Amino acid sequence: MAYLSTTNFLDDEAYLDRWQYTLRTGELDLSWMNAATERIACRPQSPRRGLTFRDLDVGSYGFSAMPEIIRDNRSFAPRGAAMPDGLPDAQADVNLKSEVWAYNVEGYYEEAMSRQWNATTDIAWAELAEIELPEAIGKAYAQLLTFLTEVEMIATDVPAKWLGRLNADFFEVKNFIATQAMDEARHAEVFRKRALTTGYGLMCASPHNENNLKFLRDGDSFAEVSLGLHLQAEGMVLTLFRFSEFISPTDADKKLFRLVMQDEARHVGYGMQHLKWVLDHFPEKRDAIHRYLDEAENFVFGAGYCAEVTEPFIILAGKGLAQEHIAEGIRITQRFQLKQIEEYFERLAKCGLPERRERSKLARARELMQAALDTPAAG
Amino acid sequence: MAYFAHKDFFGDTGLYEFVQQVMSGELTLSWYHPGTEPARCRPASAVRGLTYADCNVGTYGYDGIPEFVRGRNSMAARGSLLWGALPDIGYTVNRKSDVWSDNVVALYEEAKTRRWTPAIDIPWATLADAARPPALEAATAQLCTTLEEMALVAMEAPGRWVYLINQEFLEVKSFLCGQMLDEARHVEVFRKRALTGGQGLKRASAPVEQALRELLAAETYPQASLGINVVLGSLQLAIYRHLAAIADSTADRRIFGFSMQDAARTVAYGCGALRYHLAAQPHQARALCERLLETEHTIVGLLGSPELSEPLIILSGGGLESEHRLRGAARVRRWLRRTVEELFARLRHAGLGSYPQESRLPACFANALAA
Repeated sequence: MAYLSTTNFLDDEAYLDRWQYTLRTGELDLSWMNAATERIACRPQSPRRGLTFRDLDVGSYGFSAMPEIIRDNRSFAPRGAAMPDGLPDAQADVNLKSEVWAYNVEGYYEEAMSRQWNATTDIAWAELAEIELPEAIGKAYAQLLTFLTEVEMIATDVPAKWLGRLNADFFEVKNFIATQAMDEARHAEVFRKRALTTGYGLMCASPHNENNLKFLRDGDSFAEVSLGLHLQAEGMVLTLFRFSEFISPTDADKKLFRLVMQDEARHVGYGMQHLKWVLDHFPEKRDAIHRYLDEAENFVFGAGYCAEVTEPFIILAGKGLAQEHIAEGIRITQRFQLKQIEEYFERLAKCGLPERRERSKLARARELMQAALDTPAAG
Repeated sequence: MAYFAHKDFFGDTGLYEFVQQVMSGELTLSWYHPGTEPARCRPASAVRGLTYADCNVGTYGYDGIPEFVRGRNSMAARGSLLWGALPDIGYTVNRKSDVWSDNVVALYEEAKTRRWTPAIDIPWATLADAARPPALEAATAQLCTTLEEMALVAMEAPGRWVYLINQEFLEVKSFLCGQMLDEARHVEVFRKRALTGGQGLKRASAPVEQALRELLAAETYPQASLGINVVLGSLQLAIYRHLAAIADSTADRRIFGFSMQDAARTVAYGCGALRYHLAAQPHQARALCERLLETEHTIVGLLGSPELSEPLIILSGGGLESEHRLRGAARVRRWLRRTVEELFARLRHAGLGSYPQESRLPACFANALAA
């Protein structure tokens, strides 16, 4: 038994007597009616948008007034409710607001709720099933989808792992994390289903990338995990989705990538606004962030070994396996890789980490790639 | 950081050479002939779209998952080719009959189809305009405070297990993610309801939280599912159904009606998982029965708490006057009887027929329900 309630209610005669008396007579204690909580009546600011968490940001119920350190609630009590004696300790590991908070997290949550889509019905599957892709394109696409299926499931595990570890007062973040877990389940679903409609099925796993995923999964703190997952990994995946939309073989596939991009952009948005929050409120964490990114970028660079990701991309971008297609595919893929890394550093700069570029080996590698591309081939 | 790459790739000349080779057009195509099963799944019904059931084919299907998932501890998608140095992610729930339910695929599809959005699907403005007796509004506020507490725990429960459940059980993990979303929605809607009525939140409940904490702290997934999905889920379902039936506004009817739909899914999965578990591991019936006997007092803790039972009586009776309270108490007694009977019936149907005979609840409830 992992936790035992302070009382066995079936053995608590006073508790049972009171309850039985209440049920028999309708006589009520009603002490809860006098709870010393704020009396408020929130209203939707915009009828079109409905009643949002922002409309509830009032007094002791609001997130604006939440202190940096949550000292007075370690239970499941809703923020702003009266807290009687005897509440359990929910054993939250994360009780510092700056560990989890992000500017506009409440907005990201509302957006996630209103933009849920359905991988079963929102894609033209019947139409896709009739499309016969050329073998090279079909296999390359099935391989890319296999990789994406693999990547997405980590992003269900990571938020789920942390959800229960956050203090109940951070429910806006917990709720956002729950939406993210569902978003990622939907992504794994849609990529898997698409792979299974190509005629080729799923293909090869990607060992290097899986080690990278384990790195993301096993972060020591929520802030570390968010930096790695939301900002670095999902940021790069967002660029990948954008290029995948560009190179994907049918209109229905383009729609698929547009839908997943919408979700991914929200996760990246949370990651950026969280890092910005951390840097605004705890500039002393800057060095720890750099140390984490050093290793995260090491994994990113090591992905150069992943032929099972790069090569399908080249074939899809070049639209075939013939030599001229491969040459064109390489040209587009190199542009994509440069863009992916560039956008990553731009995001970090926007969050308040412009010096990352100076410190980063990945940035230097990008400069070399750019220089090689800018130099006309000899002869 | 707890996990590191096996080398510093920036200093790896082999990597530079490999990238140079690929980017000069000399592709390896090592992935091109994986030997995996070709598949072209089609939607069985164009209206319903492409479901997971339509993808239940060959090595990709869930029917083919073995009872013991061995040698697949990474994130690799089920049916894909495993090769190279894949990491062990650290999954601890690797047995199909510990998590599976025959209805989980359909329930996942239903969860996506029946999504709703508290911000816009509830006519909040009509609530704001309605003049309601303060006692009824206070009772609603207290009830919503307690229901928010319960939903928060119900949201955390699947989160505690999703990352421990093997990737092969993709459909179960996806369903649990949907469950987290459902409960996030409940946290949101009950809070919003309490904060629109003019009363604000009321009092957290020590007995309710003690009971929830004990249910949440199960040590195995079957125990956790039994406690949260079947026991707590049944109570939530019964509460929502009752509140939807007695609601005096469209907004409240919708809030509890929608919530009921979600809770019914949770209970259906919980019962299905329990049935599947006991069919494959009948010897676990005794252990789960013991678990229920140990934790059944939490049902009394939840239902008997003043923060839950008193507002239920007020709302069921329609007010705070003596005749209202007497009528409310009578209604709540009937509701309690039915709630416990339904819970026992579910447990019996799922294969725990011995539990109701050993339970102390019938005697306790007989006393409580004697008018």
